[in-house]
Amino acid sequence: MLLVPCPHCGPRNQSDLRLLGEAVPRPNPNTATRKEWGDYLYLRENPADWVTETWYCRVGCRQYFTVERHQATNEFRNPPLPGDKVGNSTYTTITVGSSGSQRGANANSEEQPS
Amino acid sequence: MVSIRKPNPGPLRYSAATLARKGLSGDDWPRVWRDHDLKKTYDVIIIGGGVHGLATAYYLATNHGITNVAVLDKGYLGGGGSGRNTAIVRSNYLTPEGVAFYDRSLSLYNTMAADLNINVMFSERGHMTLAHTDSALRTMHWRAEVNKLQGIDSSVIDPQEVKKLAPSLDVTSHPRYPILGALHHPPGGIIRHDAVVWGYARGADHAGVHLHQKTEVLDILCEGGELAEGKGAGGKVTGVRTNRGDISAPIVVNCTAGWGSLISNMAGVKLPIVTHPLEAAVTEPVKVFLPAVVVSGSLHVYVSQTDRGELVFGASVDPLATYSMRGSLSFTEELAGHILELMPGISKMRLLRQWAGLCDMTPDYSPIMGFTPVEGHLTDVGWGTYGFKAGPVSGEQMAECIATQQTPKLIAPFKLSRFETGELVGEKGAAAVGH
Ligand SMILES: Cc1cc2nc3c(=O)[nH]c(=O)nc-3n(C[C@H](O)[C@H](O)[C@H](O)COP(=O)(O)OP(=O)(O)OC[C@H]3O[C@@H](n4cnc5c(N)ncnc54)[C@H](O)[C@@H]3O)c2cc1C
Ligand SMILES: [Zn+2]
Repeated sequence: MLLVPCPHCGPRNQSDLRLLGEAVPRPNPNTATRKEWGDYLYLRENPADWVTETWYCRVGCRQYFTVERHQATNEFRNPPLPGDKVGNSTYTTITVGSSGSQRGANANSEEQPS
Repeated sequence: MVSIRKPNPGPLRYSAATLARKGLSGDDWPRVWRDHDLKKTYDVIIIGGGVHGLATAYYLATNHGITNVAVLDKGYLGGGGSGRNTAIVRSNYLTPEGVAFYDRSLSLYNTMAADLNINVMFSERGHMTLAHTDSALRTMHWRAEVNKLQGIDSSVIDPQEVKKLAPSLDVTSHPRYPILGALHHPPGGIIRHDAVVWGYARGADHAGVHLHQKTEVLDILCEGGELAEGKGAGGKVTGVRTNRGDISAPIVVNCTAGWGSLISNMAGVKLPIVTHPLEAAVTEPVKVFLPAVVVSGSLHVYVSQTDRGELVFGASVDPLATYSMRGSLSFTEELAGHILELMPGISKMRLLRQWAGLCDMTPDYSPIMGFTPVEGHLTDVGWGTYGFKAGPVSGEQMAECIATQQTPKLIAPFKLSRFETGELVGEKGAAAVGH
């Protein structure tokens, strides 16, 4: 079992969190083409290398955060700290309050990525 | 539909007479397949020496007479998922496209021992998917109806019939997840996966295909594409770079399952695949008591007993996307807990081994087969947790696709472009746990 570096709770057992997968930039819903939506929804790098991914701290702080993990060795690097702007700014980083429901997360993610 | 050209897949026929002759003469058996020097050029390069790559090569040679073919594997033949799976074979899928496709594979499995002249130990023992909730039972009815419409032997049975088929199951109302019924599929069963791999390898070798083990593809060479080095859409494949040198070929087929994203990325083709490990475990052998394959979706577990008496267990994929094939304690713990809910009587049996293999998971639990935006680069990937049973039909259809340069009808629904057009072939309900 991996120890996942949650920025708020510190290292936690992997089973306390849920991996949501690669953090993929969300296209602009007003202008995105069908192909861009398809790519956003389905296409993944899936490298045997470093990947920036989103985790949900399911039974802990119930926050979403992104972190880099190596998909062959499973090492983590650059774990974010509370208050950090996590991940690459082109990614939709989903942050929700302590009420953090999935719905809240979706609502938030509708903000345009910068 | 093209049929397999029979027989003579090997220089030496395996039979009781051959065994006796060898025994009396003391002659050794010849190597099952040969090693070759790497040629500079092939007509077709197949990356991945699992059941899919080998079957594709075999049918290219035997059905279409295309023999200037190389199968490249970075390790040994059958070292990927093809040697790590739990060997469940069935066709009771959920979509009409899936059912037709997997049923063709089942019929190829039925005649395989004779066609390939190798004992594949196909045991048509029946496959049972248990329903523990009303909604699961509803899905079973749905599957049974889809199956029946296509002539597949598949029906919903009640707990008493379940008990008759597998007396060791607890069908009382005591468990947390009581058994309410099951989808029963008599033609399903298990097979000796290694023998299937060796059978295709031997047949392909004899037909003139070159099998290259320990030959790792490091890059796919392209020209004319929109990305760097001529890769990507609009371009075409010219060959591959390997640890043993460059080879040129107009057609390069990706049959690398769990490693599929890495290979297609080399041609500038991004796939809707995430790689997850799937774990399995096997117990010490005991007297045979479990006649059918038993799957429980709600408990995330399935079990069958080999002819040697070991119980083979599996589950759904590990939640972590990774290329690491390490086993985990949490898998064993959960597996043991769940299996004991089904069969309390085996609590003192010992696990002998546990292992993992890589699964190339797609969003709709269906494969990605055929042409890509790069000319000459074809994929036969997205096999997830369910691709072993598809080996024969995939080989047959991919060979036809390569030989005719047209997508055969049976695999047309599995085209890569479905993720752009939204024509997904949703098989999750029939493939997430019961592989
Ligand atoms: C534990 C487990 C249980 C399963 N149970 C079932 C089941 O009951 N029924 C079922 O139908 N399916 C099952 N599956 C799925 C099934 O095993 C796979 O879908 C199937 O074996 C895929 O076969 P393949 O030939 O496409 O790939 P593989 O057999 O994985 O072969 C791919 C090959 O590609 C090679 N390769 C990778 N990268 C390179 C490179 N760069 N250069 C050269 N070669 C390379 C690898 O060495 C490997 O040998 C299970 C899988 C697992 C892990
Ligand atoms: Zn946390």
